Amino acid sequence: MKIIRLIYRKLIDASSTKPWDQLLFEGSWYEYLLQAQTFNPEKKYNTFAELITHVPNADRLHFLVTPAITGYLKQLNGRVPDITNNIGKTFLPFKNFKFEIVNSDITDKNKHQVAVNFISEPLTWHDIIGNQLLVTLNNEPANGETLTEMFSIQPFLSIYSIQS
Amino acid sequence: MERKIFLKNTLAALGLAAVAPLAVSSCGKDTDTTTSTTDGTTTDSTTTGSTTSSCTVTSTETAGPYPTKTPSSYVRSNIVDGQAGVPLTIKITIANTKNSCAALSGALVDIWHCTAVGYYSEYVVNPGGGYTSVDYTSSHFLRGRQTTDSSGLVTFTSIFPGWYSGRAPHIHVHVYNSSGTSLLITQIAFPTDVCNTVYTTASDYKAHGTQDTSNTSDMVFSDSLVNELATVTGSVSGGYTLTHTVYVAA
Repeated sequence: MKIIRLIYRKLIDASSTKPWDQLLFEGSWYEYLLQAQTFNPEKKYNTFAELITHVPNADRLHFLVTPAITGYLKQLNGRVPDITNNIGKTFLPFKNFKFEIVNSDITDKNKHQVAVNFISEPLTWHDIIGNQLLVTLNNEPANGETLTEMFSIQPFLSIYSIQS
Repeated sequence: MERKIFLKNTLAALGLAAVAPLAVSSCGKDTDTTTSTTDGTTTDSTTTGSTTSSCTVTSTETAGPYPTKTPSSYVRSNIVDGQAGVPLTIKITIANTKNSCAALSGALVDIWHCTAVGYYSEYVVNPGGGYTSVDYTSSHFLRGRQTTDSSGLVTFTSIFPGWYSGRAPHIHVHVYNSSGTSLLITQIAFPTDVCNTVYTTASDYKAHGTQDTSNTSDMVFSDSLVNELATVTGSVSGGYTLTHTVYVAA
């Protein structure tokens, strides 16, 4: 039996339609505009890529923009969004995440693009059935049985770590 | 074949009757939907009789909790977040040089400073590159944002900053106008006598000792100390209060 943690990289940009995604998009865009000025006082650069390339420590922007979105993460109540098991429910518990600015441009909101990497809590991997992974969350057996989850690996979902 | 016809006829006959319960259930509370998701088995549907043929499995689960607009977690007055140290109340007034030094209201003021032993909150870089993930409940300690009131004042509750090698003790300040345009990035310096008292007598600071860089030899403050030195009053046991005015051209 192996213990695995999954990672789901959720990309959010101007085309995102879900309310939660849009709120996170707006919040991170506003905070990015504030924080990027620290590294770009003369407005020499428009894009995040240029800042990263030319300005020392501009990669701190990932960290500095994060507080804009942590309130939204708390609203998820510790459950990774979007990723559902085979009966259509979200099930994946998480505590850890990494926020990243993927692209941005202070002159064009439509180019702002961020990602939240959700890193799941440890799961015990039992088997592969068809295209589904059979895992147990670290839950206690009740009445002699341990409840399981089945799900398929989908785009932007991957195995983050493995422990034998 | 017979079965198909039977179902077809039944559906037609029950057309109206089947719509009514559906309409009722779609107007129902969220809890109704949830119940049918968790308990909705074939058995349940069959027992409800005429609705059987119109039922479909409820898709996934109830949406929610519904997202609500949440301010940046920088926006708070108390920025301690469990960091140990001598209490420090930070009162910064923002004045506008373009308006006869009158108070500037509605300005955003970001501050950040290091812990009692000289560390900032930041992401940890992995040995292999990239940042280590963090717990979503963890916070950006000793960093905060407030909006100036009609007197141009913001107040933060924090701890007395420590120091790190090569710099005199300081607080970073970034002032934005109400629409978020950067007006000034500056730093606030501390009176040396107060620092000496804190760094030699307060328990969270003693082991680290006194600062290795004086205000006058500090690369940031050496040419501008008169503008950037704060007034700090109080005591180690009772905590300190810092007051300072920052002048911006708004």
